[in-house]
Amino acid sequence: MKKKLLSVILSVAMVASLLVGCGGKTETTTESTATESTAATEKSESTGEAAPAASGEVQEITWMFWDDLDATEDLISKGYKETVDRFNKDYEGVYHVTPITTNLEEYYSKLNALVAAGETPDCFIVSPGPNLDVYVDPGVAADLTDYLKADGWMDTFNGGEGAFSQQTYDGKIYAVPLNIAAACVFYNTEMFATAGITEMPTDWDGMLDACQKLQDAGYTPLTISAGTAWCLSMLAGYLCDSEGVDLDALNGGTASWLDANVVSAANKMVEISKYFQPTAAGDTNDVATANFYNEEAAMLIQGSWAIAQINGSNPAFEEKCGVFAFPGTDGRVIAKSDSLAMSATTKSPEAVIAFMKYFTDDTAQKYTAEVGGKIPVTKVEYDASKAPAQLAYVMDVFGNAKSTFGFYNESLASTEAGSTFDDAMVSIYLGTPVEEGLQTVEDFYENNVWNK
Amino acid sequence: MDKLLRDKKAIILFVAPAFLLFTFVLFIPICQSVYYSLCDYNALTKPVFIGFENYRQLFTADKTMKIAFKNSLFFLIFSVVTQLIAGLILAALLTNIKKGRNFFKNVYYLPCVLSSAALGLLWMFIFTPKLGINQVLAQFGIEGPLWLMDTKGFIILPMWVIASVSLWQYVGQSMMLYMAQISGISTSLYEASYIDGCTKVQAFRHITLPLIRPMMATAMSLNAIGSLKFFDLIFNMTEGGPNHQTEVLATHLYQQGFKFFKYGYASAIGTVLLVLCLIVTFIINKFVKIENYEM
Repeated sequence: MKKKLLSVILSVAMVASLLVGCGGKTETTTESTATESTAATEKSESTGEAAPAASGEVQEITWMFWDDLDATEDLISKGYKETVDRFNKDYEGVYHVTPITTNLEEYYSKLNALVAAGETPDCFIVSPGPNLDVYVDPGVAADLTDYLKADGWMDTFNGGEGAFSQQTYDGKIYAVPLNIAAACVFYNTEMFATAGITEMPTDWDGMLDACQKLQDAGYTPLTISAGTAWCLSMLAGYLCDSEGVDLDALNGGTASWLDANVVSAANKMVEISKYFQPTAAGDTNDVATANFYNEEAAMLIQGSWAIAQINGSNPAFEEKCGVFAFPGTDGRVIAKSDSLAMSATTKSPEAVIAFMKYFTDDTAQKYTAEVGGKIPVTKVEYDASKAPAQLAYVMDVFGNAKSTFGFYNESLASTEAGSTFDDAMVSIYLGTPVEEGLQTVEDFYENNVWNK
Repeated sequence: MDKLLRDKKAIILFVAPAFLLFTFVLFIPICQSVYYSLCDYNALTKPVFIGFENYRQLFTADKTMKIAFKNSLFFLIFSVVTQLIAGLILAALLTNIKKGRNFFKNVYYLPCVLSSAALGLLWMFIFTPKLGINQVLAQFGIEGPLWLMDTKGFIILPMWVIASVSLWQYVGQSMMLYMAQISGISTSLYEASYIDGCTKVQAFRHITLPLIRPMMATAMSLNAIGSLKFFDLIFNMTEGGPNHQTEVLATHLYQQGFKFFKYGYASAIGTVLLVLCLIVTFIINKFVKIENYEM
């Protein structure tokens, strides 16, 4: 009898432990009332000081970001860490944000896993375009329009409502831009001088000529990452645009990926690829950028966010680093912004909004320009003499631009379409015939975009 | 004990935990996954039944799937063959040495207990052109290949590199399984064979090999299933690149599910993986003949 009883107890204990293990997620116990948090927010906003804890319970929120805030050398990421620390200090006892960090390559996979598991971070960074569509369409991202319009927050942005064009869907704003970056050609002024290049290339032939001169002088002309496919895709995007490729027509089905202008762009990419570093096929974005600031290559085609990485990793290189617009694009520049979105299911929207405002306040935006070297999104006045030298060059490029366009992989019909384009470009670079590589994008569009 | 085992209630109680575990952790998720594989499902909205459309796309339109399938089969064959041979050789050698047996046993087994993610990163750094082996080769004036970046050939160099690293990591496990079986063989069999004039190689061939055949089937099945599910080393060494050339079924599943929210499609890949595991296990058990000898 005792044995039976013992076996029953043990079995029940085992089953119970299994069921507990399979149980649902734990509800947070830090939820306080909306009234309290609103009051805290209002108080802090009106006085500019942190509001005291209303009930002794702290509202915990999470923020997901694509860099390790503790280990990073990237000055923009360091600035974000300062913003997080500043927020947590100012709102001590009221709100508290915990960053969830991962590397850039893994960011969307991990964010999507959390979203699918019903554990969407309260706030997350996102690129506009199809990457944001993914969260807007099924209602994962919250509508921020009312928050932006409520207290003049929107008016602090350069261009007012126009600053949110990439984040607006059916008149509703789903993300807040934090900064703007332009894709440019960064170059090593010393290597250019040694190679006898006195004028920056302004057209395709000039670019090839400069590459040849650099190679003849014993330098690797260009460093680029095909391991991180969007880097190569950025070059391909510029080449497509300079060949007059109409993305709207492609997305709408009135143009083909096998049209002569797309083929010509891909051929140009193959033409310039002989000047890439030998390890471009597998180098990641970080490695390719390091090749540049470690002076192993003369040019880097990259967004101006690289300024923070370059100057953070090798401050001495700042004075040797020049910037020019990608040649042959008729004044068109690829521009991109990092944006913050809020989870539609967050239990602490006030805390998230307060947190977002810290990224767009004067302190953070000044840092963006003066230290990070990115273009601020608000009307903040910053000291240009303190800003990295490269920012002035980028501002020149941006100021002289006739118009801007987005990353190709973020301007196509879906994230998968963008990824297919990226892969096709890498595939062509690795030796697949141009028409065969482009056919994969054409096939994808036929199966998933045009005929759906 | 016999009395207890005749008691139906006791049997139910003993079986219940394993039954529940199998049902809730394996059987129901597998059924769910098979159902999702027949649906257009993004985990955010309700699944929409689309029949075999995911499978049609998988086998007719998905070029990465073809690469992943080829690479998974390569891993399967490479792992089963090399681990069988290397594991057996190590086991035979270590059972025949007296000094340092435990030391070498631990050395060979150590990689098995280390994190694959950490090992993946370690080997990735070793094979990175600017950091590891190539720098050593450069000291001797040799220009090393692009170990994890080369894309030439039917089975590209990075796949051979990753497969070799996985052999290094898991050979200790096969070795331990074979050693356990070999140590169970009665020494009198060997003594008798030596009296009859057998050499050590002949004794290994005619005594050891037949007697460890059951363990060979088990080890081969474990290696086959492990290699088909292979994920962590590849993900940390190449992330499936360059250009998906080192993608295997598990990494392709991960990309489709978590990168593109195509959970239905990813479930179809998972189902293919499951069927492959079952087929391979069946083949191994069918064709590796096991005869029971008294040891």
